[in-house]
Amino acid sequence: MKQQLETIKETAKKAILECENERAIEEIRVKYLGKKGELTAILKQMGSLSAEERPVMGQLVNEAKQKLEELISQKSNELKAKATELKLKAETVDITMPAKVKKQGKLHPLNTVLNDMIDIFQSMGFDVLDGPEVETDHYNFECLNVPADHPARDMQDTFYLGENLLLRTQTSAAQIRTMETRKPPIRVICPGRVFRADEVDATHSPVFHQIEGLVVDKGITMCDLKGVLEQFAREIYGPDTKVKFRPSFFPFTEPSVEVDVTCSKCSGGGCRVCKGSGWIEILGAGMVHPNVLRSCGIDPDVYSGFAFGIGLDRLTTTRYKISDIRLLFENDKRFLEQF
Amino acid sequence: MKISLNQLKTYVDINVPAEELCDRMVMAGFEVESIEKQGDNLVNVVAARIKKITKHENSDHLQICQMDIGKDELVQIVTGAQNVKEGDLVPAALDNSILPNGAHIKAGKLRGVDSNGMLCSGEELCLTEADYEGASVYGILILKDEYAEGTDMREVLGLDDYIIDFKITANRPDCNCFLGVAKEISVVLGTEFKQPVPQFKTSGGNIADFIDVKVENYDLCPRYIGRVVKNLRIKQSPVWMQKAIIASGMRPINNIVDITNFVMLETGQPMHAFNYKELADKKIIVRNAKKGEKITTIDGKDYELNENMLVIADGEKPSCLAGIMGGKESEIEDDTKDLFLESAKFRRDNIRHTGRTLGIRTEASGRYERGVDILNVEYAMNRALQLICELDAGDIIDGVIDRNDGLPKDKILTVETAKILELLGVDIPEETVVSILNSLGLETVVNSGVLTVKVPSIRDDIEGRADLAEEVMRIYGYDHIVGTPMRGEVIRGTKLPERIKSDKIKSLMCGMGAYEITTYSFISSSAIDTLMLDKDDERRNAIRLINPLGDEYSTLRTQLTTSMLTVLSTNINRKIEDGRFFEISKRFIPKSLPIDCQPDELPQMSIGIYGKDEDFFTLKGIIEEVMKLFGAHTQYERSSEPYLHPGRQALVKANNKPVAVFGEVHPQVASAYDIEQRVYVAEIDLNVLYGIEKRKTVYKPLPKFPAVERDFAMLCDADIPIGDLEKAIVSGSGRLLEKVKLFDVYSGSQIPDGKKSVAFSVWLRSSEATLSDEQIDGVCDKIIKNLQKIGAVLRK
Repeated sequence: MKQQLETIKETAKKAILECENERAIEEIRVKYLGKKGELTAILKQMGSLSAEERPVMGQLVNEAKQKLEELISQKSNELKAKATELKLKAETVDITMPAKVKKQGKLHPLNTVLNDMIDIFQSMGFDVLDGPEVETDHYNFECLNVPADHPARDMQDTFYLGENLLLRTQTSAAQIRTMETRKPPIRVICPGRVFRADEVDATHSPVFHQIEGLVVDKGITMCDLKGVLEQFAREIYGPDTKVKFRPSFFPFTEPSVEVDVTCSKCSGGGCRVCKGSGWIEILGAGMVHPNVLRSCGIDPDVYSGFAFGIGLDRLTTTRYKISDIRLLFENDKRFLEQF
Repeated sequence: MKISLNQLKTYVDINVPAEELCDRMVMAGFEVESIEKQGDNLVNVVAARIKKITKHENSDHLQICQMDIGKDELVQIVTGAQNVKEGDLVPAALDNSILPNGAHIKAGKLRGVDSNGMLCSGEELCLTEADYEGASVYGILILKDEYAEGTDMREVLGLDDYIIDFKITANRPDCNCFLGVAKEISVVLGTEFKQPVPQFKTSGGNIADFIDVKVENYDLCPRYIGRVVKNLRIKQSPVWMQKAIIASGMRPINNIVDITNFVMLETGQPMHAFNYKELADKKIIVRNAKKGEKITTIDGKDYELNENMLVIADGEKPSCLAGIMGGKESEIEDDTKDLFLESAKFRRDNIRHTGRTLGIRTEASGRYERGVDILNVEYAMNRALQLICELDAGDIIDGVIDRNDGLPKDKILTVETAKILELLGVDIPEETVVSILNSLGLETVVNSGVLTVKVPSIRDDIEGRADLAEEVMRIYGYDHIVGTPMRGEVIRGTKLPERIKSDKIKSLMCGMGAYEITTYSFISSSAIDTLMLDKDDERRNAIRLINPLGDEYSTLRTQLTTSMLTVLSTNINRKIEDGRFFEISKRFIPKSLPIDCQPDELPQMSIGIYGKDEDFFTLKGIIEEVMKLFGAHTQYERSSEPYLHPGRQALVKANNKPVAVFGEVHPQVASAYDIEQRVYVAEIDLNVLYGIEKRKTVYKPLPKFPAVERDFAMLCDADIPIGDLEKAIVSGSGRLLEKVKLFDVYSGSQIPDGKKSVAFSVWLRSSEATLSDEQIDGVCDKIIKNLQKIGAVLRK
């Protein structure tokens, strides 16, 4: 019987090692370890043994059984791994084939840039407001220190809609509405659409966008204005950007300045983008004119403030090097996809 | 304003190069539009002597000239001109030269003969008699025999001047002239300003015997000064005067006209000379025109006037459009004997209005619109008389007529120095503040920290401390302003709820593959017609611009769809396969027409989609997602927008309020936009969405018990809406319904005509226990009964 056990063990071992697939190994398991298997048969013969032989033989059979189980499981794992490997290999894909994607759309580039700016000014404590696009002469001009006969009205050719009604020529109109409804300290920006009777060409559009900023408080100075614009410029154009004030004129600010930043292309060295000057004009600003404060019921002897107006379209075309402003309003998908 | 630098140098010492002058003027508030060096456009043209002339064999009119250009070898140039002879010194454009008219001259052959350049006429060099005597002669310009052969023509012509174009801001009308700019330069450079002091001799007589001047409207004409000059000696004005006038973009005419123009350019005060002989009754009356009165101006155009327009009339008729343009009849001509000279101030808004109404803008009216100084009126008159005297242009009659309604006193401002510096945030020594103000002609004294500033009438832009702060700062230098970081309590700013909500919609739309577009707020007057709306549709009541840039941009839009269709058309016609677009903008709805108050500006979103994977239901899907974003309870109803496909459009209601209309665009409408394929559009009223109070999100526990899925396949009339079937299932399932999903709609073979087969999957679940068979069967029975009620029969 012992001899018989040895033979079974050896044959089974050999069969297991030679086995090539999972089904075969299962057959081997059944053949030797199954209910009707060869080892089970030997166990059944145990009844014929003496009481002394029985435990010895029992142990041998169990050992053999354990050994075979071990071998089978080992081989089975091996075969499984091999099969998986083959399967995975067969499933190799061409990674250069196109991606399957649910395409996202994009914000219009004007709004991408606007959102960046809103974020910068919000972080400096500016509230973001809105104002009507159809304005009255009163808010668009009179309160901004541009009376009816003022030559500054020629600076901006206005679209009129009726007696005293017009399409706002600047978001500054929103300044007034803000100052009428809020009391200092005021710190707001008002982005929006503005209109001027400019014929359409590569750099002019009768519809464009501005971001008006306004700060009114006690003791506000031109240095505060520069500080805010410096921070803005650094965030938009990079940390080394410098800001320069040039005197200018706007009816609603006094003193008034044009604000230049170091050219982001050449960092001030002079290049084609900045026409060799090293500077790019980005916005107009100034200290809120005392007449403007007064017309909003704010005492200019107690409070002072500054205002600035940024041209969003210019900022956008410079950022993305868009050569023709008309592209912004044409909305070709191949254009919109790029931002 | 364009000014000759040489002319400026007659009033102020300029001790820096032109470029530096410009840079420093920019930093003082005078933007430089352009700086043009004379002669930059005249390259490689030299004075050359004709050594020998021979006939051209193949031409009757061409001559071959051997030119001495100061080099060892002669240069051969062929010319067609006949006014040259051997020995003449002429301008020769050599090979590779540039002429002021833009021409590039290169060596070549003329009828087979080498010509290494071109002999030039005065006209080709853009010269007038003022630039060089003989320049107007027809033919080659013959030069004076005083230059060596080979001398550059720039040297010959004395082209050493710069023409600088200063942009004068609207607050500085006093700088629209040579003296104003020169004064500023003197302050910027710290050099002396030399203002001409007018002196002249008169020749007896008494003006009162010559003219009677009456101002009827001092409101529109606060000051009017007149003089009479007899025995005019009209001729050309001197070269220096002509050069100054040309540099500033005007044309020399004769000494009298040039003097009036020069004085305007020099002092900023327009002058007008009348032909004395033509003044009826020897009267000058400054009055409003009578309605229907006519005038022919010096440019020969006829204008009909109205009572709002100011004229200078003689005893009978208007002789001049005040401050704008003179009349043809009283124009100064070569044989004019005597003149009446005017220097006046007119109210700027009246000049502006008249100029606009008649469509005339002149150098004079431009200056009056910006405003002239009432005291300068007198200075300019005296300066003109000085020039008349100096140029011996006529005899000045004794006496002056000065009609005015009182002259202003100097304005006195008292301001604390500290208040000025407070606005700037810069610490400037008080004595510097005082000296800057004084140098600008603002006489300033200081007394224990308080400035007393005398503001002359010519600087009436200066009203208070802010203006003084600007004057000080622009001269002291803006570089001294050092940025300070935002002070005070800085907490993050807020956005309006509408902006927050529209940002959310935009990001949702982008997530669904849509691109945001931006279009103009105005559309053409006929755009609305493309939508085939009813005659009384309120969207036809649009606001028109009074002064549009053309019909294309004439009407404020009352809807966004026409703009969207234009964008879809652009993309389709550029062969872009598919697209999803959206725009959030305002539509303008007038409260009444014509408008007398601000219209409603209503936020709207338009959506437009096209492409092979798009249809009515993909657009419906987009809209559903938008509605879901606001937690809106939506219903769909058939709608009847004329611009949409009658069978493929719907009105959407959010919480029972109409919120959107969408559908396939009517082919006839699409065709008006050159669109020959199916496109889909939607308009969503954002105010309705913004108004929805969204319930706060509260977590719902995940299910503990299993769901049961049952399928219902049914047969019903083809015209029963799927939505009705779904409603029947929903109401039949009650609280146990988790989800219902349509998975098949079929009509065709095996289905009777006029019927359709519809199949839904229904998921039932209870949050309290596993559903029992009885519960499930009960629900299924109810669903089946509900379906039967509306005519749907379960299929086996």
